[in-house]
Amino acid sequence: MTKATTRRFFFAGTALFTLVFIGLTLHTHATIAARTHSDRLDERVVRGLHVWARYNCENCHTLLGEGAYYAPDLTEIVAQRGKGYLSAFLADPSAFYSEERDGRLMPTLGLSPQEIDDVLEFLAWVDGIDTNGWPPRPILVTGEAPRAPPGAEPHVDAPLPGDRGRALFHGAGACAGCHAVAPGVHLVGPSLAGIAGTAATRVADPSYHGDAKAADDYLRESILDPSRFVAPGGNFATPEGRSFMPEHYAKTLDAGQVDDLIAYLVTLR
Amino acid sequence: MLAYRSQRVAYAYFAAALVLFALQIAFGFLALAKYLGPDPLLDTLNFATAKSIHTNLLLVWLLTGFMGSAYYLVPEESRVEIHSERLAWIQLALWLGVGVTTIAGYLLGITEGRKFLEMPFVLKLGVVVVMLIFLYNLAMTIRRAGRFTTTEGVLLGGLVGAALLFLPGLIPFDNYTLDRFYRWWVVHLWVEGVWELIMGALLAFLLIRLSGADREVLEKWLYVIVGLTFLSGILGTGHHYYWIGTPPYWLWVGGFFSALEPLAFLGMAVYAYTMINRSGLSHPNSVALHWTLGSAIFSALGAGILGFAHTWPQVNQWTHGTHITTMHGHMAFFGAYAMIVLAMISYTLPALTGTSDAERSSRLGLWAFWLMVGGMFGMTMALAAAGILQTYLERILGLGYLETQRKIQVHYLMWLGTALIFSTGVSAYVWDFVRVGAPRGEPHTLGEAT
Repeated sequence: MTKATTRRFFFAGTALFTLVFIGLTLHTHATIAARTHSDRLDERVVRGLHVWARYNCENCHTLLGEGAYYAPDLTEIVAQRGKGYLSAFLADPSAFYSEERDGRLMPTLGLSPQEIDDVLEFLAWVDGIDTNGWPPRPILVTGEAPRAPPGAEPHVDAPLPGDRGRALFHGAGACAGCHAVAPGVHLVGPSLAGIAGTAATRVADPSYHGDAKAADDYLRESILDPSRFVAPGGNFATPEGRSFMPEHYAKTLDAGQVDDLIAYLVTLR
Repeated sequence: MLAYRSQRVAYAYFAAALVLFALQIAFGFLALAKYLGPDPLLDTLNFATAKSIHTNLLLVWLLTGFMGSAYYLVPEESRVEIHSERLAWIQLALWLGVGVTTIAGYLLGITEGRKFLEMPFVLKLGVVVVMLIFLYNLAMTIRRAGRFTTTEGVLLGGLVGAALLFLPGLIPFDNYTLDRFYRWWVVHLWVEGVWELIMGALLAFLLIRLSGADREVLEKWLYVIVGLTFLSGILGTGHHYYWIGTPPYWLWVGGFFSALEPLAFLGMAVYAYTMINRSGLSHPNSVALHWTLGSAIFSALGAGILGFAHTWPQVNQWTHGTHITTMHGHMAFFGAYAMIVLAMISYTLPALTGTSDAERSSRLGLWAFWLMVGGMFGMTMALAAAGILQTYLERILGLGYLETQRKIQVHYLMWLGTALIFSTGVSAYVWDFVRVGAPRGEPHTLGEAT
């Protein structure tokens, strides 16, 4: 093998793979609009991207797994925590987290209400990007799911509704990202330890003004229409009384999944 | 002794590079302290600012080192003085001006917020101007000489490529996926593409000088190595296109070609080892020998093997966005690029300052080498443990991010301990550089005869 041969290998190989790369780039470029539902990419989303950049968010957080590793991934954050909670959080992170208790605290960036709305629009849009199935399971900010080792845990197609509900709660539904099931552990939402008993007493309480008549109806109402009745106490709602809980479950869960979740929740006595 | 008088400008570039390197380490410690918490600077100098300064200083000092290396190497290869030494000084002043303004801007919260490319647009244009001056000066030097070696050709190819690939970073995109897609043209095609040409060329230059190996043989293999770099690295960009909204064929393309990426780095390690082995470590500048061989081996481990450890899509879907990346990033940048610049500085320092090679086999210089190499190896291990645990707890078991961080705190302590060893090595290196002293008076040159 001579130097002339290896030079040819270098130039020919580089030219060939550059051409293939450019070809794939052209194809990719043409498919991005559909894969990122760019019809929903309005000026609020663009403003939100600029907020994301201006405040250097990705040098602490990851988004689509890209960025720095000092703060949680935010790919699915709007679906997991809802805009109500996130607006309140971004206005004053120290109202929800503390360095002593949680180890990390986000700085108060002084975002305007407009900037907060825009960046949440942006994050909600990112959540809809077709990411080839990433992340394979939800990445949570907080929450200590009491899980069995992989393989020994109930699966979403287990025969018993309660087991299916438990798998959904701690898995794909990401409920455990906001609700602990251990007593006294309040994450973003209240602990659900003993929720079966709490639900039964609450529907009987004169101050309750929702539509439910029984404990399981109360749980259903809380999942599908969280602001219908917000229990007093705790920092779980906006000053106007809107629950921090996301309101998309009526759309994203089917009736069977809601039944499964309730079957699991009533076991929490 | 210098072969050409104008090569002396390299000393200023190297001195500037080392100052920026030391600053990079300082900001690294600041960021690391925030991992250990609590953070008294939360609202004045937050993690994002400290981290972007840390990573930007890395790029700036490495590029400063590359520029200095080129101004040393090109006259020697082409056997002619630099076209305009004055222009080289103006370039350095402009470059440092842009760098200092950028960092000052970050401290004031002025940033474009794209990892590695946070620099505001106007200053990016400044970088373009600096690159144009630089490439013009080198091109004119070579043109005047009429002699153009393969080694400097590969170096120049790398530098031109780096300048061209900086341009996609100037284009703003409203679509975040497209923004990511073209950001990797800069970042990936730099560090796993054209920068490898710069590394390969500097390595070839050092090996020719240190081992006395036959240029024809060395340059023949240099083509093979840079050929493998592009064969694997160009389509290997696909490993950044798995989960950001790009089509699924990138999983196959990225996975396959990334698996080939270690070949170029392994090739460099084998190449350096064989050449040095043949000459029997006989060169008196043993510090430079250590850095040269060390760079070839460390880049094969950090960039080659540790990169491969998480580029396969079935692995990457769990490790993406964890400390596994931090682990790979630290050892790869250090092994491939920091070490080759340190090798160039160690090799050229006797000639630049008019001291003898034998003085360069100093004990302090060797301590600096082993402390940095040992410290970086330890940091990599600490980050590997942190990354594996984070992947398992957070991604596989589904524990919250914050709970996981608490459980891996002990590995951050190990990170701190090994980083202290590393920074002791950096201090030793800088002190060794200072101790030799700045060049005094007119440089001695060997003249055109060599």
